[in-house]
Amino acid sequence: MASHLLKRSIRNPNIKKHLFSSTFLSSIHQIPNPTNQNSLDLIAANTCSFGTTKNPRRIHQNYLVKIQSFSSQAAVTTDELQTTDGLTVDQITANQWPILDETEGDWKSHASAVAQSIQLIKKRLQWKKLVMRLQMLTIQLNKPDLWDDPVHAGKISREHGSLMGKMKEVNGFERELLEHIDMLKLAREENDGELELESLKALLKMRRSAKEKELKAMLAGEHDPCSCFIEVQAGAGGTESMDWASMVMNMYKSWGQRRGYGVTVVDEMAGEVAGIKRATIKVDGEYAFGYAKAEVGTHRLVRISPFDSGKRRHTSFAAVAVTPILGDVSAQVQINESDLRIERFRSGGAGGQHANVTDSAVRIVHIPTGVTACCQNERSQHQNKAMAMSVLQSRLDQLEMARQAQMNAQHTQSLTDNSWGNQIRSYVLHPYRMVKDLRTNYEVSDPDSVLEGDLDDFILSYLSAFMDKDEDDMS
Amino acid sequence: METDNGPEVSTLCREIQWLLQDVVVEAEQRGEGVVKLRAEMDQLYILWNQRIEKRKPFQYIVGCEHWRDLVLCVQDGVLIPRPETEKIVELVEEVVGKDEGLREGLWADLGTGSGALAIAIGKVLRTRGKVIATDLSPIAASVAEFNVKRHGLQDKVEIRQGSWLEPLEDAKGKLAGLVSNPPYIPSGQISGLQAEVGKHEPRLALDGGENGMDDLLHLCEGAASMLKPGGFFAFETNGENQSKFLVNFMQNCPKSKFQDVRIVADFAGIERFVTGFCQ
Repeated sequence: MASHLLKRSIRNPNIKKHLFSSTFLSSIHQIPNPTNQNSLDLIAANTCSFGTTKNPRRIHQNYLVKIQSFSSQAAVTTDELQTTDGLTVDQITANQWPILDETEGDWKSHASAVAQSIQLIKKRLQWKKLVMRLQMLTIQLNKPDLWDDPVHAGKISREHGSLMGKMKEVNGFERELLEHIDMLKLAREENDGELELESLKALLKMRRSAKEKELKAMLAGEHDPCSCFIEVQAGAGGTESMDWASMVMNMYKSWGQRRGYGVTVVDEMAGEVAGIKRATIKVDGEYAFGYAKAEVGTHRLVRISPFDSGKRRHTSFAAVAVTPILGDVSAQVQINESDLRIERFRSGGAGGQHANVTDSAVRIVHIPTGVTACCQNERSQHQNKAMAMSVLQSRLDQLEMARQAQMNAQHTQSLTDNSWGNQIRSYVLHPYRMVKDLRTNYEVSDPDSVLEGDLDDFILSYLSAFMDKDEDDMS
Repeated sequence: METDNGPEVSTLCREIQWLLQDVVVEAEQRGEGVVKLRAEMDQLYILWNQRIEKRKPFQYIVGCEHWRDLVLCVQDGVLIPRPETEKIVELVEEVVGKDEGLREGLWADLGTGSGALAIAIGKVLRTRGKVIATDLSPIAASVAEFNVKRHGLQDKVEIRQGSWLEPLEDAKGKLAGLVSNPPYIPSGQISGLQAEVGKHEPRLALDGGENGMDDLLHLCEGAASMLKPGGFFAFETNGENQSKFLVNFMQNCPKSKFQDVRIVADFAGIERFVTGFCQ
């Protein structure tokens, strides 16, 4: 769109003159064009270093023009973007232009809605922290001895690239908004109705894509795009809570299937009478971890237990843990083979030629941490072992992430720090019917649909509440 | 009828799932609501009935066993490869990882059954490495042949029908490695075996004579003349007693040619394997 406008405006000599005097000239060639990209591309741009930009130097140039003496550290110094007449995103929202319906064709409405979205996105990305972190990483990247430790260096440059990508995208979006406003005002001055209409359309398009971006900003965590394991464990209380644990597990299975994720049972330990003592499923697909992490904690059920002959009301608990499956091997915790104890699970008897078994369950214990992982649903022992290893890897990675998050608490606030004991949601089937999230107070009166996997509203309301609560994180 | 209690419900449930997995033809387009099956429903019923009533092993019902990362065809008359035996492949991987010469050498799998060990080792070896697998049973030899073709390893794995080392005269003293899971169950225990094993699997692949060690001892003696210096061997045994006996036998017999003889346990902690090198 931007390049189109440029071409279009160059035909009009007056506009050309204006354009060249505007402050955004230096950046006009490199504006990412988010409105034409689909959301997956945006995510890709977020996660890989420098995204789709062909010439990384260009990003720096934009800032270097102004503060040349700062070397590349200046790359993260954000000057406030503004239109030719000095309008900024903050001012737009401060103006409190009424936001009318999209169909109204009112540019101020569009601009105001987009500006609000930009502010929300920045808040969700913890903008101030992001900028500070980026500055810190840039300083580290400029150290001459950085590559003495290639593993550390790789980590630093990966994170730098990913944060840079995020910043670039938001800045690009912001710049695009201001340019369209400029263009629109210009068109009005020049009485160019066609250009005005075009700018208005562009603003509307931005307004529509902004909602999508808001959502994506909620899933901006480093590991959010990963697949994950979900583990459910029954609380104390015998059969009733084991039944509840299997209801919770079924809820996640159908949630995953509804979202189009691949769902496989890795490990399941049945209860004696009904339900499960614990179970682990693998949820395969983009952003599975980003969403599912909102479910970590204890889930509480109140109902008249079908297992109680006295028809009394029971309260039971099930604990949910979610761990990411890191795609990037270099980001994974190194596991020392000698730290592992690998055993046949539920084995007995002479084995070997004596026994015909179809159950070749494997349990792996990581001796230093005591973390264990089992798998029994694959068809060969070899595959069970491989799957158990991947569960173990995921659990150890999660432990390490929690440890790291504690170390630099100012940077990442880990959602999954929620301890197992933390009660997050209540499902009441009797005497009234309701599901209520204790963290957000979001509630619905139809427990059946929730238990059938209709969880997205709970997840999104929690993610947005978590992301939007901290006012200080705004830029 | 049976002396054991039979399979657990949870095991049967899992087997039913796998049966369905194998019988359903993966639909080209999902969501059509039509599922294509490889067998008629009443045929499936008969098959499952054999599983429950006759205690026929699940692997014979579906005609295959998943073993390591392989799917191997099995049928009546061929021993179903055991999960424990997977470990032998890991031991071989370890050895050829340290000695590239062995990776390029000639290997033998004696009493190959479905061909499991031969195929898995064939995949571990490099370009010049080869495996010769033998089995006395013509059925086993033909099933192994079929499995080798299925995995496209005709150039790497050769199946020869015959007893133990007999078909290997031409390889005497040339083997880089020798592996075997020979019958090791004492004859007296055959009648008390789990029904799936005792009533359905070939006795030839299970019965190791009075103390179960007839074939193991035969192979140990043969290994000395078959292996080249530095060659590796790995045998599966019935457990602690047989393993200890073998180690003792190999270390103390006066003309012993073996070194680094040791016992390796399986994942259940049973001292299952004896490995070593030829001097």
